[in-house]
Amino acid sequence: MTKDEILEKLQDVFRDVFEDDELTIHRASSADDVEGWDSLMHVSLMINVERAFKAKFSTTQVASLKNVGELVDLLESRQAGASGGPA
Amino acid sequence: MIEGRLHHVSIIVPDDERVHELAALLGLKLGRRQFVAQYEADCIFTTGSSGVIEFIIAKSGKLSKFNKGMGGLHHIAIAVPDLEVTKQQLAEQGIPLLETKPVDAGPIYINFLAPAYTRGVIVEYVQEVAAQDAAVDGARPLAAEPQAALTTGSDGGRLSERDIFKNARSLRSEGRAEEAALSLREALRRNWLSPEGIEKAGRHIAGFLDESSGKPLDVLVLGQCTTHWVGNCLTAVGWGCGAAVRTVDGQYDNVIQELMNAAASGRRYEAVVLVPWSERLLGGEPGEGAARAAEELAFWQRAWQIVTTQMSSRLIQVGYDWVSPGAMGHHLSARRQGPVQIVRQMNESLQAALPPSAFFVDLDQASGVMGRDQFYDARRYAWTKQPFSEAGAVRLAQHLWSGIRAMINGPKKVLVLDLDNTLWGGVVGETGPLGIEVGDGASGESFKAFQQYAKALSQRGVLLAVSSKNNPADAREPFEKNPALPLKLSDFAAFEANWEPKSAAIARMAKTLQLGLDSFVFFDDNPAEREHVRQMLPEVEVVDVPEEPAQYIRALEAGQWFEALDLTAEDAERTAQYRAEAERRGLQESFASMDDYLRSLDMRGAVREVDEADLPRVVQLLGKTNQFNLTTRRHSLEEVRALLARPRSIGLTVRIADRFADYGLVAVILGVEQEGETAPTLRVDTWLMSCRVIARTVEEFCLNALLHAARERGFERVVGHYLPTKKNQLVADLYDRLGFGRTGEVADNGVGYALDDIAQVSATTFVARQG
Repeated sequence: MTKDEILEKLQDVFRDVFEDDELTIHRASSADDVEGWDSLMHVSLMINVERAFKAKFSTTQVASLKNVGELVDLLESRQAGASGGPA
Repeated sequence: MIEGRLHHVSIIVPDDERVHELAALLGLKLGRRQFVAQYEADCIFTTGSSGVIEFIIAKSGKLSKFNKGMGGLHHIAIAVPDLEVTKQQLAEQGIPLLETKPVDAGPIYINFLAPAYTRGVIVEYVQEVAAQDAAVDGARPLAAEPQAALTTGSDGGRLSERDIFKNARSLRSEGRAEEAALSLREALRRNWLSPEGIEKAGRHIAGFLDESSGKPLDVLVLGQCTTHWVGNCLTAVGWGCGAAVRTVDGQYDNVIQELMNAAASGRRYEAVVLVPWSERLLGGEPGEGAARAAEELAFWQRAWQIVTTQMSSRLIQVGYDWVSPGAMGHHLSARRQGPVQIVRQMNESLQAALPPSAFFVDLDQASGVMGRDQFYDARRYAWTKQPFSEAGAVRLAQHLWSGIRAMINGPKKVLVLDLDNTLWGGVVGETGPLGIEVGDGASGESFKAFQQYAKALSQRGVLLAVSSKNNPADAREPFEKNPALPLKLSDFAAFEANWEPKSAAIARMAKTLQLGLDSFVFFDDNPAEREHVRQMLPEVEVVDVPEEPAQYIRALEAGQWFEALDLTAEDAERTAQYRAEAERRGLQESFASMDDYLRSLDMRGAVREVDEADLPRVVQLLGKTNQFNLTTRRHSLEEVRALLARPRSIGLTVRIADRFADYGLVAVILGVEQEGETAPTLRVDTWLMSCRVIARTVEEFCLNALLHAARERGFERVVGHYLPTKKNQLVADLYDRLGFGRTGEVADNGVGYALDDIAQVSATTFVARQG
C-alpha cells in the first residue's frame, strides 16, 4: 500500500470510529482538529486501526504519535516489515 | 394460506455478461430492465409465456454479497392481487413481512416474507401496478419510502456491523435520531454486535439520550480504575433490554471526592456503581495484605455511607479480582497470602459488610466464566488504566445491568419453554411419550440436565410455562408417563399446547398470570418461533438458543434474567399462588357463562361487626386502599373507635374464601346516621375493598350485608358519596351499578347517591353468607 492508499483507508476508520461520514483527515490532522479525539478515544481509534491494518502497536508507539502523518508512516514501516523487507 | 400464482424466479448474477451467457444458453429473451434503489440492484426480466426469470445484478449493497458474491438462485416471487390484503392475511397467522411498506420496483410493488418463517427460503410477494389500479376500492396509496430504519438487509440476512452503524448515522443526520437508536436496539437485542460494536452503540445511544426529552435512568459509575468504556457498555446493554440508562463516570481513582461532589450537586442518581481495582490492595509489601484489606474495607464503607444516606441511590458494589497469581504461583498464591487469597478474603469481608439492599457483582465469578485471559487486556490497562478487554467490559456491564434491573424491576418472573427439541430430543407426536430423548445417551443427558436446571429455577420462585405447537394430549403425555423427566405437569404455572401462534399463547399467559409481558423470557430451539416472538412481542426477552442442547443451560444463564437480590420464602411459594390463580382463570375461560363460573367458585363470605381485635387491620386498610375506595378517608384508630361509638353506627368487615384460596379480610364498610332526614337514613362513611376479589359479585354481597345491618338498626334509606381521586376511578359508577340514584354534587367534586326504601332491596350475588 502506498502512503496515499493508507491515508484513504485510515479515513474510513476515522469516519467509523468518530461516527462522522463527513470527516476528512490529512497528514497534518491531529487530536486538536478532530472533535471527540481525546485520550480515551485515542485508544479506541488505535485499536480500530490495528484491526483494519492487521497490525499491533506498542505502548510507546501509541503514545508518541503526534498526527495522522506519523500514523501513516508507522503503518507503512510496519507493512515493509511484514512483507519481509528491512525492519 | 395465501393464494397466488408464480410471478417469477430470481437469480443473482455478478454482471451483464453472465446474464447474456445464461439467456443465450437457455434461449431466454431479455426484456424490461429496472434499477431498484432500495436493493442497490439492476433487475432484468425475461419475456415470454413460459414463465419469467429475473436476473439481479448488484454492484453494491447486501445482494452483492449473496452466496459470497457468487450469486445464484435467490428467491421465488408470487403474484398477489393486493399486497395490503396479503400482509393482513399473513399477520393473522402471526407472520410479518420484511418491510413495513410495499417497495416500489417500477411496474410492480414488492414485499419479502420474513425469511425466518420459511427457514431461509426467500419468498417475495408481487403486486402489479396495473392490478392495483384496477382494485375496486380505488387507488390504494402505496408509499414507497426508503426503509432505512430496517436493521435487516433486503435479502433477509443481517447487515454487517459497519452497515448497521452507517445506517444509524445516516438516519441521525436526517434528523431521525429515534429511528437510528431503535435500529441499534434491534441489533443489540439480536446479539448482532461485537463487543466493540456494543461499546460504540453505547456511545451513540448516550448521545441520543442527551438530546432526547425522555427521562433516562441516571447511573454514576466510579472506580479505582478507568470506567469510561464500562459506562458506555452499560448504556448499550440496558438499551438492548428496552431501558434508557445514562451513565456518568468520574475521574479514575477519585471515588470519595466524586461521590461527595455528586451528593452536593443534588443530582439524582438511580444507582451508583463502585468498581474497585486491585492495584492498591495488592500493592503492599509481603505481609501487609491484612492491613491493606482493612483500609480498603474502611474506604468502601465510607463510600457506601455517602451513597445510601446522602444520595439515596441504589448501590452496586463490584468485587476485587486478581489477574495473575503473582510470583508465588497458583499453588501458594491461594494459601500464603498471595494475590489470590488476599482478593478472596477481601471479597468475603466486602460482602459481609455490604448494606443488605446493595447488589454485589462478584468480579471473580464474572472473569472466571469468561476466562481472565479474555476478560482483561494488559495493554489497555497500560494505556488508560482500563483493565478490561472490550469483551470483558461488555460482560461486566451485563452483570451491572442485571443488578440494576433486579433492584428496579425485580427479576424476570416467567420462563416460557418449548417442548420438542427444547425440553427433550425428538418430536413427541412422532415417537410417543417414551420415545423422546431424555435421561439416557449424550443428548438425552443434556436435555435432562436442562430440565433439572429449569426445575431448580422453579424451586427458587421462577414460574415455568410451556408454549408448544403440539396436540394438547401429546404434549402432556411425557410428563405423565415418562419417568425419566425431572419436570412434572405440576411444575408449570401455564401450559399452552396447541397450534396457535406462540405470541398469542404468551399473551394469554400474561393475562392469566396477571404479569406484564416484560416479565417473560422465551426459550425455544426453533429460530423461526424466536423471530416470531421477537417481532410480535418486543417486550418478551428471547434467548438465543444454540443448536447444541449441551449448551442450553449456559445460553439461558448468560442473560442473567433471574438475578435476584435475596431469596425469600415467598418467592418459592409464588408458583403455587400463581398456579391457583391461573387455574381459576382457566376455569373462567372454559365456562360458557360468567354466572356458571362464579357459581363454580363456591365463594363464601363472612360478615362481622368491627371489634377491637379487627381495629388495627381496619385502620391499616383505610390507610392503604386506593382503588376500590369510595371516599378515601384515612381515619386514625381513634377516629374509627369514635365513629363506632356513635349510636346506630355500623362497622362491618367482610371475609371471603373460595375453593381455591382464603382471601381473609377483604372489605370494610363504615356507616353513621345522617341527621335531619325525615326517613331514618344511614350514611356510608367508608366503603373499601381489596381488588383481588373484584368483579365476582363481592360488591353485591357487601351491599346486602350493609342493607341487612341497616335494617336491623331501623334505617329505611342509605346515602353515600363517591369522592374522586387519581386512583379510585374503578368505583366511579359503583353506586350506579348497584341501583342507587344520584342526588347531586357534593363537596370535593363528589357525587351524592341515595337508595330509598331499602326494605325490599337485595342484590344478586354468588357469595354464600356464612356466620
